[in-house]
Amino acid sequence: MRSRGSMFVLALLLLTPFLLTTSSLAIPAFSRQYGTSCTTCHVNFPKLNDFGKAFKDAGFKFPKDDESFLKVPPVMLGAPAQKELWPHTVFPGTIPGLPPIGLRYNQFFQYTPNSANNYNPAGSVDPTNPTVPRTDFESGLFSIFMAGNFGSDIAFWVDDDLSVSGANSNGGLGDGYLKFVNIGRFFKLPTDSLSLRVGQFELDLPFSQARSINISPWDIYTEANIGFSPTQNVNNVMGMADGMQGFEISGGHQYRGYHYSLAVVNQNTSGTTTGAANVSSPGGFFSDSNYKDIYGRFSYRFNLEKDPASRNEIQAAGASGPRDHTSLSLGTFFFKGRSVQRFNGIDATDNATVLTAREPFYRVGGDFSFNYRTLNLFGLYMAGHDDNLLCQDTTGTVVPCSGGLGATLTPGSAAKFNGGFLEADYLVLPWVMGILRYDRVQSSADFLNAGIGSSTNYFSPVGSTRNRVTPGVQFLIHANIKASFEYSIRPQQALAYDSNGKAINPFRTSTAAGALEFVY
Amino acid sequence: MKRTLITLAVVVVMFSLAASAGTISGKVSGVTGESVVYVEAVAGKTFPAPTEKPLIDQKGLMFTPHIVAVEQGATVEFLNSDTVAHNVFWISVGGNKKLGHNLGTWPKGEKRAFKFDNPGAIPLLCNVHPEMSGYIVVSPTPYFVITDKSGSYKIDNVPDGSYTVTAWHEGAKNSSKPVTVAGEGKADFTLTK
Repeated sequence: MRSRGSMFVLALLLLTPFLLTTSSLAIPAFSRQYGTSCTTCHVNFPKLNDFGKAFKDAGFKFPKDDESFLKVPPVMLGAPAQKELWPHTVFPGTIPGLPPIGLRYNQFFQYTPNSANNYNPAGSVDPTNPTVPRTDFESGLFSIFMAGNFGSDIAFWVDDDLSVSGANSNGGLGDGYLKFVNIGRFFKLPTDSLSLRVGQFELDLPFSQARSINISPWDIYTEANIGFSPTQNVNNVMGMADGMQGFEISGGHQYRGYHYSLAVVNQNTSGTTTGAANVSSPGGFFSDSNYKDIYGRFSYRFNLEKDPASRNEIQAAGASGPRDHTSLSLGTFFFKGRSVQRFNGIDATDNATVLTAREPFYRVGGDFSFNYRTLNLFGLYMAGHDDNLLCQDTTGTVVPCSGGLGATLTPGSAAKFNGGFLEADYLVLPWVMGILRYDRVQSSADFLNAGIGSSTNYFSPVGSTRNRVTPGVQFLIHANIKASFEYSIRPQQALAYDSNGKAINPFRTSTAAGALEFVY
Repeated sequence: MKRTLITLAVVVVMFSLAASAGTISGKVSGVTGESVVYVEAVAGKTFPAPTEKPLIDQKGLMFTPHIVAVEQGATVEFLNSDTVAHNVFWISVGGNKKLGHNLGTWPKGEKRAFKFDNPGAIPLLCNVHPEMSGYIVVSPTPYFVITDKSGSYKIDNVPDGSYTVTAWHEGAKNSSKPVTVAGEGKADFTLTK
């Protein structure tokens, strides 16, 4: 009864720390160019502090007097006087004086209780099901990233995972884009009210997965909406933290006041007959039509410092030194897209044809972040909804789309999920951070072993969630070397229950993970 | 006769003053860059606090100058010339952690001052830019100097007498030597990390 969906979700649970930890992005290239420490921009790399947010907003440069901080002057691509020839252009520009390259490597150790394998009980072992090792050493990512500013407020970023889990070329491009900062100046708009980013990028998420300090990603960001066959046919593998291709306009600041972004990106297409006729993207998606997905976000941050002068500065003027503001951010986001699947089918005269299911979907949510001194409490809620098109044969009977007998499509029950996370990060010392987070995802796919309409669920006997509580601690051995530990505590689960309602072969996929990583 | 005696007295005083204006010179080796050499406290002798206020600037994410030597009792001014927020603090004076202090935060173009009443080396730090490094060396006497980059130094106007002279260098162990000044004294130091 377990489906491709169940294996997919289970794999997410078990292999999350190894396979799904996304590129964490801290930029030693900036350290080299400015002769400054990681902590100038990061609370605990790669998480940005207020100054780091301002640095990023400004196009990877100091918001004011950038040139006075550069220890390695940029190379001019033309004399400044050239600008007199073309005063209304951004010609001639600069390139960084040093190749702006940073590298990152991480590795993991995981411990999972033996009972985790009870999901695959003896006697009914499906050889395709993954077996969970009790202990496991794993290499993680080896990534290269380059970022900087070409002058004239044109910023760039490229990062690529050269290998993942020890396999060469297994990661691919993360982000790769040009950002034209503050182009609103050409339209006499207020400063920083309009910027343009073009390329492949992580969406302007409320909390960047790429800059998350956690070993395992936030579950809600990796939630793919997978329906339960045959009553659901949805197979939308898009996760919110995936790299998207398109463009984005944005404005405002991340460290105070308003911030908005609006992105137009490629839609996601999957299915058995996708491929040759379509254009493959580095993110693994296929785009076959002019339809584009849209993502929008708006947030407002209230800096709560008593001193009005300090309130408007990038960092607050604390009695013992600059620090992040005491602040409250509130935001909302919305993603509207269309997931396309293709299936082999037959037409009315029994000739082979291709069925194309275009299933609109949306993701919507809200978020908050409260910061007091070195304590940051933040959270996000998101709901997902995918329209569901089922295959039916020439008689109107619903059939599995994978069978090749589908003749037409008919609406079915939508596939939904919701959930989010709450997290508290507390910087105990400049080199010690304690973390406590709660992840929750509740989805159609969590009823996998029982099917739609059943009250039995797969992942928890007490509710259709695969929630977890994850305490963690991280130590900066150096500003660029980090040791991280986290323990994901998950509810007890079972495949079956006896007549008394007692779980048979219960198991937990609680996981302890340790990581060592360095950037240079 | 009276005039002769007065003239003689003036000459004697002038000679004695000239004799007291000795020097201590030498070289600090074993390290690279500037060091500070100063005369340790002289028993039974005190010196008035200086009126000059040396300035340490925070510019381009650096303390400028990197090393400042002052006499005990001097007031040092700290300026922020950067467009980013800075901070100045030190965790000890001469290794005494009870004398640590934090000057807080102030905006571009403003200064804060602090009077250093205790001798010793003071490592200056900024709590948001941990790579920023500066030093104030507070000498217990007015007889101190910052060496040139080769380590050579000369302290002027040292009265004749016997002293203890100390050499300080960033990251190295202090070294002290007895020096007798009779018009001039010599002291070379070899410091180790």
